[in-house]
Amino acid sequence: MRKSKKFAFPILACFLAMLLLVTACSTKGRASDQDGKGITTVTMWHGLTSIDLDNMNKVVKAFEEKNPTIKMKLVYTESSEGSDQKLLTAVAGGNPPDVALFDRFKVGTWAAQGSLTDLSSMAAESGITKELYYPFAWDESSYQGKLYAMPMDTDSRLLFYNKDHFKEVGLDPNNPPKTIAELEAAAEKLTIKDGKRFKRIGFIPWYSQGWLYTWGWAFRGEFQDPATGKITANDPKVVEALQWMTDFGKKYNVEDIAGFTSAAGSEEMDPFISGQISMKISGNFTVKGIEKFKPDLNYGVAPIPTPTGTNFTTWSGGGSAIIPKGAKNVAAAWKFLEFLGKEEGQTLLNADSQISVIDSVNDKYGYKDDPIMKEFINILPNSHNRPVIPEGQLLWNELASATEKATRGNGTPKENLDKVTETVNKALEKYDK
Amino acid sequence: MNPIAIKRINRSLAYLCLIVASAFFIIPFIWLLSTSLKPLTQVFAYPPEWIPHPFLWSNYSRAVEYIHFWTYLENTAIITIVSTLGVIISCPLVAYSFAKLEYRGRGILFFVTLAVMMIPGQVTMIPLFLLFTKLGWVGTSLPLIVPQFFGVPIYIFLLRQFFLGLPDALREAARLDGASEFRIYLQIMFPLAKSAVLAVALFQFMGSWTDFMGPLLYLTNEASYTVSLGLQQFQSQKGSEWGLLMAVSTLMTLPIIVLFFFLQKTFISGITFSGIKG
Amino acid sequence: MAKLADSVRVNTIPSARKQRALRKTNVIGWLFASPWAIGLLCFYAIPMLMSIYFSFTTYSILQPGEFVGMSNYIDLFHDPLFWKSIYNTIYFTVFFVPLSIFFGVALAMMLNMKVKGMAVFRTIFFLPTLVPQVALAVLWMWLLHPNFGLVNGMLAHFGIDGPPWLGGEAWSKPSLILMSLWGIGQAVVIYLAGLGDIPDEYYEAAQIDGANWFQKTRKVTIPLLTPVIFYNLVMGMIGAFQQFTLPYTLTKGQGTPANSMTFYVMYLYENGFRYFKMGYASAMAWILFIIVMALTGIVFITSKRWVHYQGK
Repeated sequence: MRKSKKFAFPILACFLAMLLLVTACSTKGRASDQDGKGITTVTMWHGLTSIDLDNMNKVVKAFEEKNPTIKMKLVYTESSEGSDQKLLTAVAGGNPPDVALFDRFKVGTWAAQGSLTDLSSMAAESGITKELYYPFAWDESSYQGKLYAMPMDTDSRLLFYNKDHFKEVGLDPNNPPKTIAELEAAAEKLTIKDGKRFKRIGFIPWYSQGWLYTWGWAFRGEFQDPATGKITANDPKVVEALQWMTDFGKKYNVEDIAGFTSAAGSEEMDPFISGQISMKISGNFTVKGIEKFKPDLNYGVAPIPTPTGTNFTTWSGGGSAIIPKGAKNVAAAWKFLEFLGKEEGQTLLNADSQISVIDSVNDKYGYKDDPIMKEFINILPNSHNRPVIPEGQLLWNELASATEKATRGNGTPKENLDKVTETVNKALEKYDK
Repeated sequence: MNPIAIKRINRSLAYLCLIVASAFFIIPFIWLLSTSLKPLTQVFAYPPEWIPHPFLWSNYSRAVEYIHFWTYLENTAIITIVSTLGVIISCPLVAYSFAKLEYRGRGILFFVTLAVMMIPGQVTMIPLFLLFTKLGWVGTSLPLIVPQFFGVPIYIFLLRQFFLGLPDALREAARLDGASEFRIYLQIMFPLAKSAVLAVALFQFMGSWTDFMGPLLYLTNEASYTVSLGLQQFQSQKGSEWGLLMAVSTLMTLPIIVLFFFLQKTFISGITFSGIKG
Repeated sequence: MAKLADSVRVNTIPSARKQRALRKTNVIGWLFASPWAIGLLCFYAIPMLMSIYFSFTTYSILQPGEFVGMSNYIDLFHDPLFWKSIYNTIYFTVFFVPLSIFFGVALAMMLNMKVKGMAVFRTIFFLPTLVPQVALAVLWMWLLHPNFGLVNGMLAHFGIDGPPWLGGEAWSKPSLILMSLWGIGQAVVIYLAGLGDIPDEYYEAAQIDGANWFQKTRKVTIPLLTPVIFYNLVMGMIGAFQQFTLPYTLTKGQGTPANSMTFYVMYLYENGFRYFKMGYASAMAWILFIIVMALTGIVFITSKRWVHYQGK
């Protein structure tokens, strides 16, 4: 026993030393929320970079000038799924930030989990109402009639087409296709095939933002029954849309065009920018990308073709700000959300970058005079938002997988969409209790 | 043919093999380096290009300014060095006990050590986070450092394999000389396992240096962020700053490359068994 | 820890001295193992036990959920994507683990030659493991994009129609195996360390016996390398079954095309963090645990026959 004590000491000493070292290294403690002078610090987690971060800093500055008792503390967190994880763990651990920027798409899920603060009454007191915003933006921020998020910015999807290619094959570059039939004809003219390889392809319906949502709504289908809240992915019109996509794929041989839509980061290596695809469905967020990667690209945008060539529509998503359940400074956080959601904050927030959720702000930006941007803005009053349900992500994944299966000839569109409807509605049952 | 000629042919053949294989393995790094010097319009140019035109050295200075690179680097270095130290202190000690000491419960303890590696971290992440929240460690770098001082199963297993390969004769001799078990470990066995310990240190160094999930979850203050968190700030939906991202990636990998370059010799020189037969 | 050791009672009636000696070795052993015993308990055992409990509930991370018995496990067996992900994962493991051992040992032996400039070569083989994940995903797309990638571009020069790589259902997993092999630098380092521990005397003895290179490799190098091969086999299996980051970043979590890249832990992650079904995900984790445990058990049992430790 005596001998074991002899080396027990060095081991213990090692441990004490390392514990001391470690604590010494991590003295950067947490800032307290309130200092003695009655100033409240509101912590906000965001994933903003470059111009969006500059804009947010302007918003914060203007806000702090008006509210001298509140100080905003911005913390960058990763903006994709990682931010989910950080926020998720923080909420689960009971120590969330006061405000977090959040994809509106997730509002339904998080609200159903009881993890977002209900903003309805505070909004009513502050005079923030649905009428201020585009209808879809408000709807996507609400779950079961209650407001859970402050919409911040939005987007929309349109048909992008390469004007040079149009000229080259004798199509009118100022008269893009309006109907599905015109789209097919143009695609055929624009495609150049060299053996099995495509030198250029006119159009791929599901490439980039050509989700089933995009085409389902273009074909005037509905994904949710407004009365019962049940999912209707097998709506005959949605089935028709998927059937059209499948037929299109067959015509060009799906395996051959798979190369273009390969999942591996296709957004960065955009064949539209390199001139390998002549038309695509995409959102306003790629406009900035084109400016960056290929500023001299001669392209135009037009509403997504529909079977009739009328009733153009699209769908929109976007960011919002939320107050997680368990936030410590709800009142002060709301003050900031209110400022962010009203015209002044909106104007500062989205300048030179995003589309605002308030129509008059977009007007102020001069978007309506810009040949590209005006198309994105003009479609917004008729835009849709994805169903706000607790299982939004499941529905999204199921639709994507149904699209892939159907276009690859693995089951008919109807079979696949019946399956989606059944799966998602079954998953939704547990929330009815 | 005379033996010298054969030797020469062998040597050239060896070089040929090495060069062909290295050409294959160096591609990622060359690409990283080349992209870090490219203007944005060239990054995804079609057909793909290897040589930047023009060479945009300014990517580096811009990248370093874009994020708080030096602060992040300092934070990363502290976390990495301390946790590597932790691994060097704890893992060989435990591994030695698994390999050379006899005690009740050793088999079970080793079995559990292997078992904990078979549960994906994704499910233990939340409980672990809750634990660190209870301890009040969230927002500090303690969760990224302290566990290393208590041992990491993958390294313990690796070192056990190496200790098992060391001859028992040495221990017996030292014990007859009256050395305590801890002295035998510290003065004889630990130095003999130097190459494996260095390998483990390198892995932990790399692991901490590039760790993303840990810092993401546990660091809540931008002033204490690490470089791998900084890398994310170059990415955005509206077109990422690939040139800058690759510049920081290059800067980030350089210290490990240098470290590896100088350490690799010790991996082979390892042990001199002069006079000892297993 | 001393308490634990004290509680050990030997059934036979040994002499007092023997008993004391035994007690001493127990105490010493546990003292050496004590840091890990504590760490294991705090940082590993508690979270693991919690996840067992979660696997019987509808825990959603944000809500504690309710106890549902075996229903998560039963549901899993009726989940087609669960089976698909098992298939994908086993496919990957079966090909990747043996290949990585073969190439790892071969590379290590090549890098263990005594020629000039070896430091540079060793560093080069290690490089791919250093490139950050975000950069890797873009690199692979740049190289392997079916239409715009460098590899198919080069193949086209020779008149070969390149495969769709990650874009094709049949090609996606082989592509992933290829990419993963690129990152065997760490395993090579371990093999190198193992090679370094083989005493020169053995080779000299073999030389005297007139053994050629092939015989030396078979009779000296490989047998003495078995402890590290064994390690890499076990860890490679555990790692392959938990394959996550690379396919996840490559497919943006979607497992495309046609779920051919949906690996077990990817699907687990999807359930836990995207669908908020952490209970379900925990059940998946424990099924994985049983599978991997069984396989590791087999490896351990057979290891007595093929792993040779110098020290014994």
